[in-house]
Amino acid sequence: MNTSLFLIIVLVSGAFAGLIHGVTNLAIVEPYLDQAIGMENQNMFASGEVDDTLEFWVEYEGYRTWQKSGQVLAGVILGVSIGSLFGIVFAMSRSSLPGRNNVKKALILAGIMWVTLYFIPFLKYPANPPTVGDAESVVLRAILYSSFIAISGIAAVGFYKVSKKFQNKKKILGLIGYVAFISLVFVIMPENPDKVTAPLNLVEGFRATSVLAVSSFWIAIAITLGILWNHFKPEREIATSN
Amino acid sequence: MSESRQITVSKKGVPIIAIIALAVIFATGLFVVGFDQGHIFSLVYGEQAFTDLYIHELTHDMRHAAGFPCH
Repeated sequence: MNTSLFLIIVLVSGAFAGLIHGVTNLAIVEPYLDQAIGMENQNMFASGEVDDTLEFWVEYEGYRTWQKSGQVLAGVILGVSIGSLFGIVFAMSRSSLPGRNNVKKALILAGIMWVTLYFIPFLKYPANPPTVGDAESVVLRAILYSSFIAISGIAAVGFYKVSKKFQNKKKILGLIGYVAFISLVFVIMPENPDKVTAPLNLVEGFRATSVLAVSSFWIAIAITLGILWNHFKPEREIATSN
Repeated sequence: MSESRQITVSKKGVPIIAIIALAVIFATGLFVVGFDQGHIFSLVYGEQAFTDLYIHELTHDMRHAAGFPCH
């Protein structure tokens, strides 16, 4: 395999898909973030924690501009990060993925990774807007969320390897094993310790648009990497000799 | 005078160096966007970084939108 070419197409795919993710967030998730942060401000004014002054709003506009513009940059960084993992798994599993071309193979893998690394963990620990979440519990929540993702991902790989030992229709036992195992983990793992205190329509709207935006990343990374792989064929190593 | 050239096209596994490089990028990027609470800048600015939270603020909106616990 051509190492440089492989690295370049993986990183470019990740950056592009991350850019799509960041821009999609700005378009559909940002209104919910603004609404939630507006509620946080009103709560702080009501409690007397801060005063509703011109100085407050000048400072607020400053850091919100920083946060909003940072969303796209953070999208690219996260895209390159998750894209790197996707590139590793795709390169290692490409020959055994179904599909006649690399775009189809990448879409199938992205679907599997979306379910196991994002959607199932999301069902257990769904995304929350600002106003939800106690700062004191953030480390615990980070450990719970990342642990669940790691357990789900490792289990998916493990049961896939188990399924390869079976023949034909018995391969489904690997999928059944994963579903049974992750269901058990889902029940055993502790709940998010923080209560959802924000209005339900805000939280549900935020979560729905969050899922759409993350899904846009997985679709974009699969299509981009698949197209670049089809075009540049990094698995080939060409040597010339006289 | 003619010269003959042989072109060899081989297909090998994924280079270990590429896997290591991508694994490092994966872990670093995930920590920056998903989990940093001042840790990275604290290497340079010390305890003040945990108050300033520059990376936290920069990644704030993406952190919420991507499902990571933020604060």
